Amino acid sequence: MPRRSSLPVTFVVPTLVVLLILSMVPTLYAIVIALQNRELSSTAYSYVWFSNFVDLFFDRRFLNAVWVSVKWEVVTVVATMAVAIGLGVLMFEVASPRLRNIYCLLFIIPVLLPRVSAAFVWKFAYHPLYGIATYPYRLLTGGLIFDPLSKPATALFAVASVDVWQWGLFFAVIVLKLLETLPPQPIEAARLDHARRWQIHAYVTLPMLKAPLISLMFVKMIESLRSFDLIYVMTRGGPGVATETLDMYAFSQGFIESGKVSYASAMAVLMMIATVITFTMLWKRVQA
Amino acid sequence: MKPVRLAASLGAAFMLSATVSTIALAQAPVCSAPVKVLAQPRDGLTLLEDSKDEFQKLAGASFQIDYLNENDRRAKSRADASTVGNYNVYYVDEANVALFASSKWIVPLTDYYPADYDYADFDPGRQKVATYDGKVWFAPLTGGGDLMVYRKDILEAAGIQPPKTLDELIADVPKLTNPDKGIYGIALRGARGSGANVWRWMPFFKAYGGQWFDGDKPAFNSDAAVKATETYLKLFKDSAPGTQTGSWDESTGAFLSGQVAILVESTPLSGMAVDPKTSQVVGKIGFLPPPAPLTGGGYGHGLAIAAKANADDASKKCAGLFIAWATSKENEKRRLDAHQFGELNRTSVLSSKEFADIYGADLGQALAETGKVTAVNFWQDPRWPDLGDRWGIILEELVTGTRTDVKGGLNELEAYANELVKK
Repeated sequence: MPRRSSLPVTFVVPTLVVLLILSMVPTLYAIVIALQNRELSSTAYSYVWFSNFVDLFFDRRFLNAVWVSVKWEVVTVVATMAVAIGLGVLMFEVASPRLRNIYCLLFIIPVLLPRVSAAFVWKFAYHPLYGIATYPYRLLTGGLIFDPLSKPATALFAVASVDVWQWGLFFAVIVLKLLETLPPQPIEAARLDHARRWQIHAYVTLPMLKAPLISLMFVKMIESLRSFDLIYVMTRGGPGVATETLDMYAFSQGFIESGKVSYASAMAVLMMIATVITFTMLWKRVQA
Repeated sequence: MKPVRLAASLGAAFMLSATVSTIALAQAPVCSAPVKVLAQPRDGLTLLEDSKDEFQKLAGASFQIDYLNENDRRAKSRADASTVGNYNVYYVDEANVALFASSKWIVPLTDYYPADYDYADFDPGRQKVATYDGKVWFAPLTGGGDLMVYRKDILEAAGIQPPKTLDELIADVPKLTNPDKGIYGIALRGARGSGANVWRWMPFFKAYGGQWFDGDKPAFNSDAAVKATETYLKLFKDSAPGTQTGSWDESTGAFLSGQVAILVESTPLSGMAVDPKTSQVVGKIGFLPPPAPLTGGGYGHGLAIAAKANADDASKKCAGLFIAWATSKENEKRRLDAHQFGELNRTSVLSSKEFADIYGADLGQALAETGKVTAVNFWQDPRWPDLGDRWGIILEELVTGTRTDVKGGLNELEAYANELVKK
């Protein structure tokens, strides 16, 4: 029987302890604060236990923020994956290897831009009078004004398009590289069977890439949860509360409007619980 | 050496060393580390950075200013002051001075403001805004009231006299709007915030007789508030594109680029409007006080000494010296020379011949007139930012059409105000 070595434990334990401290201390602190009634403007506080959580369910802005967050998550993830797969397949089918390299370089640039910079650039691009993105509308309608960021019906999609512009193009490059790594035989076999191009991808290549595509989708889902900076710069949650996501509302309550840090922490805790449950269920369903 | 001479020599040596020590102490630098300032972008502060060496020579240390736009500056300074206290000097304004002072995040300024720098020279209105609970908390960097700035050429072409009353303004604005020519009757602020859309809405509220509280009882849910909101929304139909979710930058930007006929805005606009570097409408504009009975929104922004980062008296003195130097007559003169109208706050400068030479008599006259109708429109209470921001969101919803029931919005605000008061 081989002798047990304590070496792996010696190396792993300190790292695990550091990781635990880094992740658990802020989490536990957030939970403790959520059970209190702390406000920035006062040092006095007491335990109110679940009162903040109960209040949240009677707060119309919180309920709106939950709905906006769900919409944001669905719109950005679905659109990003659709753009990534569509463009990736298109480049694979029609572009020469040289052209593919050029496209890849161009498509990576948006994601390299800092989020805040991208948000400012697009905020100006959407300006109703000077914006380059609204110019075609002005041209086609003889100068009519379109202000997508101030219309409740379009604001969320206008901001989401920036997110998709950054991540969809980047993911398209990854999808292309994944397609290039596939063995050519199944594709050639499908061609010999007179399968059309879309059929080859729908029934052969994309099913072969199911696992990495699901991983990409999960990455995007997590990334979409952290879109605070983009929304904050472009709309600050407006018009009204049309683009106010949970993180935006929590920040607003904690630091912009009321200084209610406990109330904001309660939102963060609920968000954390909902995210863990949702992701665990999705992950298990995908693996089944 | 005789004992007497020895004693005299020792005495002289002692006196000399004591004098040198006293001089050295007197000239000891006031600041031992760079002064950290959290502010919002201002031309005056940018200009101030050119004179860093001067402050270094005066205080023995330099300074560093971090800039954030108005809403972000408010959020960041509130978070910083209540937690870590990284900054020695905060940029505060009329809307949050009560909160900062009552939370003890800043200290009374005049205790650490050197007398030589003559605080009493500041415009009395701005001194009033800087005062809360009988104490002075900041030295003004900007301030004033509202002015109506209008395009003479557009009004003349439409055969319209500059409106002197609110009713005339309401009637004239639609007539002046001509989107085909890229001209809009007015520009308002739609973006949420006690210092944004609510700020521009409040003169209407006051004009119709509105008041925020009657003692501890909310009194704003009234006919005056409904009428003020309906008027605001009506005027917004002719407001320049981009202002529905915009604030000061968007509305003044639209006017300065020639798209707006009439603008009622804070007084720094007038200086920008006559400056060819920032305005495309130079020579085409006139100034008047806001149409009656609109009140001007009295405001003031300035620098205050942080409590947490300046734990000892020496640090507070250093921060006080920085504020005094930054708002000194010498630096104000530099801002006048650089034609930074909105950065002028001292009566000695505003009434100077140089000021009249640069900005003309018309503007001086309009400023004097508007001073008479300038008022404090907001609720002077630490809870004002909370209440004002809440109304800002409801108002933004009304402006952008997310909600349509004005009375419902006011009911919601009243319920929120009752909760605030209960605390």
